[in-house]
Amino acid sequence: MRETVYVLGGGQTRFGELWGKSLSDLIREAVDAAIMNTNILPTDIDMVIIGNMVGGETAEQAHLGTFASSLLPHHPPALRVEAACASGGLAIHTACAFLESGKAETILVIGAEKLTDVAGETVTSALMHAGDAEKDGPSGLTFPSIFALTAAAYMHKYGLTREDLSLVSECSHRAAIKNPYAQFRKEISAAAISKSPLVADPLRLLDCSPISDGAAAVILSTRKESSVHIAASQLANESLSLIDRESLTSFVSTRTAFSSALKEANWNKNDIDAVELHDCFSIASLIHLEDFGFAQEGEAIRLFRDDETEATGSLPINCSGGLKACGHPIGATGVKQVLDCWKQLTMQAPNQVVNAKRMMAHNLGGVGATCTVHLLESI
Amino acid sequence: MDRIPSLHRRIKTLQKTAMQFGTILSFTTVRHPPAGFGTEPYVVALIRLQNGTKTLAQLTRGSITPAIGATVVPHMRKIRTMRNGLFVNDLKYEVVAKKIEPIFTVTAYVLAVSGPSGVGKTTIARSLMSLFSSYAEQVPIVTTRKAKKGDSEPYCHVSEEKFEAMVQNGEIISQTGMPSASEQRRYGYRRNDIDAIWRKGKLPIVVTELNLLTGLVNALGRRAVLSCGLLPPGHSRRSMLSSLLHRLRVRGRDTEEQIEERLKIAEADLRAFDDHAHLFDHLIVNDHLETCIEAVHEIAVTRR
Repeated sequence: MRETVYVLGGGQTRFGELWGKSLSDLIREAVDAAIMNTNILPTDIDMVIIGNMVGGETAEQAHLGTFASSLLPHHPPALRVEAACASGGLAIHTACAFLESGKAETILVIGAEKLTDVAGETVTSALMHAGDAEKDGPSGLTFPSIFALTAAAYMHKYGLTREDLSLVSECSHRAAIKNPYAQFRKEISAAAISKSPLVADPLRLLDCSPISDGAAAVILSTRKESSVHIAASQLANESLSLIDRESLTSFVSTRTAFSSALKEANWNKNDIDAVELHDCFSIASLIHLEDFGFAQEGEAIRLFRDDETEATGSLPINCSGGLKACGHPIGATGVKQVLDCWKQLTMQAPNQVVNAKRMMAHNLGGVGATCTVHLLESI
Repeated sequence: MDRIPSLHRRIKTLQKTAMQFGTILSFTTVRHPPAGFGTEPYVVALIRLQNGTKTLAQLTRGSITPAIGATVVPHMRKIRTMRNGLFVNDLKYEVVAKKIEPIFTVTAYVLAVSGPSGVGKTTIARSLMSLFSSYAEQVPIVTTRKAKKGDSEPYCHVSEEKFEAMVQNGEIISQTGMPSASEQRRYGYRRNDIDAIWRKGKLPIVVTELNLLTGLVNALGRRAVLSCGLLPPGHSRRSMLSSLLHRLRVRGRDTEEQIEERLKIAEADLRAFDDHAHLFDHLIVNDHLETCIEAVHEIAVTRR
């Protein structure tokens, strides 16, 4: 990083099916919480960046940059970014770029999504816009089924069993119990996950992150200081459609973003104390852990089997509950991950990792087509 | 979802994708279809096609359970119904139990001889035929032209309607039209004819012009066409054209009016050797018939 970008703090709404709240209510609530939790004046903010994917389709609200800017008394310059499920991560990455360039000094970064106002099949179609409209769309593929294709290929290649796969979601649900902002705050056994209804073979309902509403906001600054700063911010991309990929069981974007981020921060991968990773589907967690190099190919499930992924384990993963149990309001996720990292580093997380000094937020768009990796460090 | 122009573009994409067999790389059952795809679950597979590219497509409801590695064959099938009641067709693949042998092997190719009218294509093709005797065959040309005396090439005469139908259903892989004052005619090659010759283990020879050559290259792939361009003798374009004019008159097959028209086309064909150089493997000047035949023969045998 050319400049030290501090994370001053942030806030979020509860994630879930929030029928009583509109997209604007959610954004307002998250922004208010962020400003309350950080010791700054709204007028200190000199830019607003918002990540959102389907505001137009599901909430009939575009032009979200200006919308968010209007919430502040002085209407600072604002923009909206979109990279499907990585919209939040991209918002943080964009903010870092503006801060590093000196164009802005204190940026309010928001991620927000409202999905439950429309019928399920409409959401399914809108989310499918994250794929390639000409290559993936015509076959009637949905997003869960795209990940189901990778899951089927993974199971075929490495012999992963249904019972093993269920351990991934079980871990997320266990973590979410303590998180007051999580959508599902109850334990679900691996056996129940294995018996949940099929969504797209072999993926079942409880393998999938839910349809959620929610918003999160963080405030980043180069002018004001705090105990947490961003050590690396990386963005990487890969071909949009699955049909242009070499491998179904690995995402090049994750590998690229992760290795570039380690280089930027000058870290070793074992320096990382805990990870917020993009577990949009249970299978994705396994693929990511292998792409990071925390496990050999086909062996990531061992980390879950040996409870290494718990807050007390050697590699705590998604102590917030992750996308699976905390919820996945598309554009909000990437921002919420950074917020959760900040909570860990300032010792106020619900599942506090003892002595957490270095954290990673890993956000994915599409089926690994976009990936952002942010490394955070407490001083 | 129901966007007519996007459907129109999709048809064009499908036309470019030849109907190919494939292998399943992965598959899933979509239990909650997106808007417009009904409510019944269906199977979508990631398929590796014969030519190495991949596609995502639905599988037909067959008796055979799909599996990773299984062979699939393509069909055009109804894929969904639009809100206004119209059906949308798209490629669906059927799982077949037995492994399908590809129709042709990579070594199979077509020998194309092209050049301006009167350069001696037909004579050379006929000589090649006798030289190759049992292992080459000329690909018949499908045409809407009326049969006429002195026709030496294998023509297959069809009506305009029949021709159009064959183009529409993809039977004809390469076609060209030659509108003229005297007559409206179309020429084309059928995939089936070429496949049949390959299946016999023979070398298909086409005697052709630029449009048909381009079509063949597009349909079969550049590497599957060994292309020889024939030039008339002469040091300049002008002298080449005059030697062509001489030959056309001596041949006496066409009227003066047709000769004039052929010359115009010939001029364009000569220019094509420069403009479309990538379409030709070899350029041969036909100044001495026997030498020229020998040259083409050698090229075809050694496949240089």
